[in-house]
Amino acid sequence: VREQSPTQQDPFTSVLIGFAHELRSAGIKVGTDDVLTYFKSMTPLDPTDLVDLYWAGKTTLLSRHEDIATYDLAFKKYFLDEDAPAKTQLMLRPQSVAEAEAALVMPGTEPDSADSDEEPPVLGWMASNVDALKHRSFTACTPEELAALRRIMQRMRLTPPRRRTRRTKTRPAAKGTHPDLRATIRASMRMHGEPPGQLFFQKRKTKLRPLILILDVSGSMADYSRHLLQFAHTAKHAAARVEVFVFGTRLTRITRELTHERVDVALEEAARTVVDWDGGTRIGDSIDTFIRKWGRNGLCRGGVVVICSDGLDRGDPDVLALAMERLARLCHRIVWLNPHKGDNRDFQPSTLGMMVAAPHIDLLLSGHDLASLEELAEMLPALS
Amino acid sequence: VDYPRTVTELTERLREGGYLADRGLATTMLVSLSLRRPVLLEGEVGVGKTEIAKVLASVFGRKLIRLQCYEGINTGQALYEWDYARQMLQIRALSQAEVTDERSVDKLFGPKFLLERPLLEAVKKGDQAVLLIDEIDRADDEFEAFLLEVLSDFQISIPEIGTVKAESSPVVILTSNRTRELHDALRRRCLYHWIGYPTEAREAQIVAIREPQAAEQLTRKVVRAVHRLRELDMVKPPGVAETIDWVRTLDVLGETELTQETAGDTLGAVVKDRDDLDLVRDSLAEIIAGA
Repeated sequence: VREQSPTQQDPFTSVLIGFAHELRSAGIKVGTDDVLTYFKSMTPLDPTDLVDLYWAGKTTLLSRHEDIATYDLAFKKYFLDEDAPAKTQLMLRPQSVAEAEAALVMPGTEPDSADSDEEPPVLGWMASNVDALKHRSFTACTPEELAALRRIMQRMRLTPPRRRTRRTKTRPAAKGTHPDLRATIRASMRMHGEPPGQLFFQKRKTKLRPLILILDVSGSMADYSRHLLQFAHTAKHAAARVEVFVFGTRLTRITRELTHERVDVALEEAARTVVDWDGGTRIGDSIDTFIRKWGRNGLCRGGVVVICSDGLDRGDPDVLALAMERLARLCHRIVWLNPHKGDNRDFQPSTLGMMVAAPHIDLLLSGHDLASLEELAEMLPALS
Repeated sequence: VDYPRTVTELTERLREGGYLADRGLATTMLVSLSLRRPVLLEGEVGVGKTEIAKVLASVFGRKLIRLQCYEGINTGQALYEWDYARQMLQIRALSQAEVTDERSVDKLFGPKFLLERPLLEAVKKGDQAVLLIDEIDRADDEFEAFLLEVLSDFQISIPEIGTVKAESSPVVILTSNRTRELHDALRRRCLYHWIGYPTEAREAQIVAIREPQAAEQLTRKVVRAVHRLRELDMVKPPGVAETIDWVRTLDVLGETELTQETAGDTLGAVVKDRDDLDLVRDSLAEIIAGA
């Protein structure tokens, strides 16, 4: 790398490096070798053509779809705006500037962000009546007790049920259905070609099912979900594939944010991502979004979906009913945690949302205190 | 046949092969061809991710080697496998003939008994191959890690034979439908391009190239109707493949016009979900009227 990077920087080089810096400060991960590839990619292209600069940068510096909008904005800022740094340094072909302006369709702000503040949360009072719960629920704990609970939760592991995969493992056995010739012959070779004493057979491996957590963080559920987010974080560190989504008025995926080692950092980051924290609840729309954007692509296929919400839905019940029905078809099992259930064994769902969702739920738990979360951890492996 | 050196030339050659690449895709492919870096293509379903590899191979006279990924795929299915059944028969034949010289044993692990799978074949062919690794997201993590190793130096070692190395690396195209997150390491090894839906004019051109015998009027109307469909809140929006299918279906039926009646009869070519079907039937008149 050192040999190839020029010590005497020509304007072109410094512009490309400057652009990479711009991208990094916009939050896109750009490695040094990516920048090097960007340089090299200019060989068959025309570096004075802004359209080439745009597309070559896009293909060499980006690696995920989510970053495209950020890239477009950064490119506009760096190459096209009035006081763009690149304009003073590079002699760009004027018509290529016009072309690039036309080629760049600038994304507006997030399509959903506008309507998220429209409706003020009006359900707080209904859900705040949780003191009636018998056990010490999370909301009733002192900060010290919460810290202790956290430590316990860190040790808990969510283990989803297993399923048979198409992957096989080989073992020597007296009988079996699928002989593994490769292993048998290899064993025979070790014995200098003597027939091996035992045949090897293939056996299908089992694998943990993916676990998908969909957590409600709207006004009435915020307190519970903070703890569940903690729980979700410990689940993420278990061996299984875990995906975490949070929703309020809309749905956000926070799986990537939870990859940080420290719980608090991850939580803080998740809180930043979920801009509708403490907003209203649209369960039906959120689950519908989940199905359209992720579920349909197979993210929850064969998996266990855990939804944590009180079922206070402000959206259309028909949307929720349809979304739940689709979700049930897409995934293996649906677990619903409703903190309002509490320790009540004969809990009857009273909110419209819960009643609509009930036929599609395989397991309904409370998740309002540590005991109930332990119950979840215990019942989860048996959901095969 | 050498690969072209400019974006324009590459676009033109792909067009001859029946593929309309936009500037972005053409740039990505050109950079990939000149730097010999694999390309990771993501995008909506049915927008021609797999097709580009096929066309690239056919236009430049390369062999298309396809590795379709699926859960449980392992090295035996992707790299190579010894033909154990034949080896055993050979051993029996040798022992009956009482042949024990070293060479006949060597032959047991020679090319005759080696079953080449796509990756080994691609490494051997090198520059003469276009390797398509389709739907990489369907394979498991372990396989991805293994693939990373192969893609980094195009070298495969077979214990009984030795190391096979590509003299010049093949063109590699990976596609993913994003059913799971790919590892960053794999992404970083590749150039990345997202293929979205084409604009109306471009899609009409694509259909015209693929179904030249269809009436122009019909093509234009179908494309406009499909674009309207994509604006609807559908569970599975139609891709370019569906547009082509719809035009083909109507053309086979001898239609030269898209009316509400003919559209209703052939809706199955574009709409593949029951809920979507209900949604579309409700507003079919508008969709067709606008077209």
